[in-house]
Amino acid sequence: MQATQFHITSLLDQVISGLPGLLPELVLIAAFVLSIFSGVFVDRLWRHSTLAVALLGMIAAAVCSGLELRTPAAENLLFGTVLPDAFAGYIRIFIAAACILFALSIVANPDFTAHRKKTADLYSVLIAVHIGLNLMVMATHWLMLFVAIELVSIGSYIMVGYLAKEARQTEAAMKYALFGAVCSAVMLYGLSLLYGFTGSLEFTAQPFIDGLTATPPLLTTLALLLVFTGIGFKLSFVPFHFWSPDVYQGAPTPVTAFLSTAPKIAGMAMLVRILYAWPESSAPAQSLHTMLLVAAIATMLLGNLAALRQANVKRMMAYSSIGHTGFLMMAALAYSAGDYTVLLFYLAVYTIMNMGVFMLADHIESRTGATDLAAYNGLGKRVPLAMVCFVILVISLTGIPPTAGFVSKLLIFSVVFERWQATGNPGMIGLLIVGALTTVISLFYYFKVPLNAFLKKPDADQTMETAPLSGGLLWLIVILSGATLVFGIFPQWLTNWFG
Amino acid sequence: MITLTHFLVVSACIFAAGMYAVLARRNAIMVLVGIELIINAAILNLVAFGRYDSTHYGGQVFAVFAIVLAAAGVAVALAIILNVYQHYKTINPEDIRDLKEK
Repeated sequence: MQATQFHITSLLDQVISGLPGLLPELVLIAAFVLSIFSGVFVDRLWRHSTLAVALLGMIAAAVCSGLELRTPAAENLLFGTVLPDAFAGYIRIFIAAACILFALSIVANPDFTAHRKKTADLYSVLIAVHIGLNLMVMATHWLMLFVAIELVSIGSYIMVGYLAKEARQTEAAMKYALFGAVCSAVMLYGLSLLYGFTGSLEFTAQPFIDGLTATPPLLTTLALLLVFTGIGFKLSFVPFHFWSPDVYQGAPTPVTAFLSTAPKIAGMAMLVRILYAWPESSAPAQSLHTMLLVAAIATMLLGNLAALRQANVKRMMAYSSIGHTGFLMMAALAYSAGDYTVLLFYLAVYTIMNMGVFMLADHIESRTGATDLAAYNGLGKRVPLAMVCFVILVISLTGIPPTAGFVSKLLIFSVVFERWQATGNPGMIGLLIVGALTTVISLFYYFKVPLNAFLKKPDADQTMETAPLSGGLLWLIVILSGATLVFGIFPQWLTNWFG
Repeated sequence: MITLTHFLVVSACIFAAGMYAVLARRNAIMVLVGIELIINAAILNLVAFGRYDSTHYGGQVFAVFAIVLAAAGVAVALAIILNVYQHYKTINPEDIRDLKEK
């Protein structure tokens, strides 16, 4: 009975020794509590007080993550639930960047600023989601992972339904909430089965791996399929993608920008952690590998082909982000343990490009009211700077030099090719071919934007009015577009930092 | 004598019933009920398996967390459904389809 006795002091010691690894999250928790108070009491005196609290909290969290990069944890903390290693440290910084950009684009969005509910609560929700995303990246325990996913999901439902101004927004929120809740419920059932097979919840630990290998492969595959329903929902890969075009189109545009970036980065980190927690030769890892390989190929093809025939810009970009998910999965599959530079580079560049392009769509929508591709006709003359940025970001998303998108795609292709040469796995060459093919396909829909904006004449009945809007957000987007060019020409600035 | 198998069979039945309620999609509230059933099936599994894990009680702890999270999720989903009703005057997911492939 020695093992079952509670040793309160030693347990507390273990908790306290683990806390420094979670410093960014502790900062965020403090900011969360403060933001609720400032939303209730201080917002009446100063309109932007909650925003200020949220921004300061998130910047402080990013700085703490940066400081932790110097002393990454070598082993799991807090009873094997989290692993704040260097990989998690970098991704936490990307997530903080995406959250800060989201907060800034809310301030610039007239729909949000004029809303009767005010935006204070939204910032509190954003901080909570930020904590959830950070935990998702670090989790090495199914319970922690599940709590983190739910924290992110519930926060995201609130974000999508926050305005509830038009019928469509509520529809998007309902679809998102119902589909998300079903996926996480199914995932929970899968987790309960995995727990039954192995008797352990810590998925990187030896007892879990031993238990999984000892179980009949059919059962583990079934349980993993159920678990990956929940993860697939967060990443929106095929066949769990069909919520995302509807939700991305219906949600307020800043929310779409956030949802297509931050949860995807965190989800990808989580996927990599699960994928490489188990030895590659073991049966469960093999079946997981095959499942994800097929899903990655299907995701790339479907995302890019469906984007071709979209008329709505947000819907088109939604499919494009599904296509990018497939690409990221390819990077995750080819990632060899220990060397995460390529994956991190792609994630960093994806954060910049995707946030940039959706923020730009938001900016153009609130200035000119254009949401369809046809309404972009002639916009090159009306909002020249915005359209030039759009072109740069779209070039980067396609993967054409001299942008960061090109370098990141090139790096992934070369890693996949090396991997194919090393293992002779036909799946890798399949990924490579489909990846190259869909890059070409993506040209056709991405280039509709500059084509319409610069070469086509606007319709006669189109209004030529441009709503006056402060240029702050636009300059931010200019910086982001500039960053894609800079990192395209000097990729070593980023890769050296990851080294 | 009730064995582990009995628990698993009951939970599989609850899971199937919940899945049916979700896939039938008659009414958004019924979908939520179905989700709740699936979660309860999982919780039953966790507690049943947790009996054999006497050192960490992982299953029981997980069950408690899952109950709380399910309640939070349902609260948010109900608020959203209320908003949907104000705009559409119906909560049948089949009738609410402004957003779809053109």
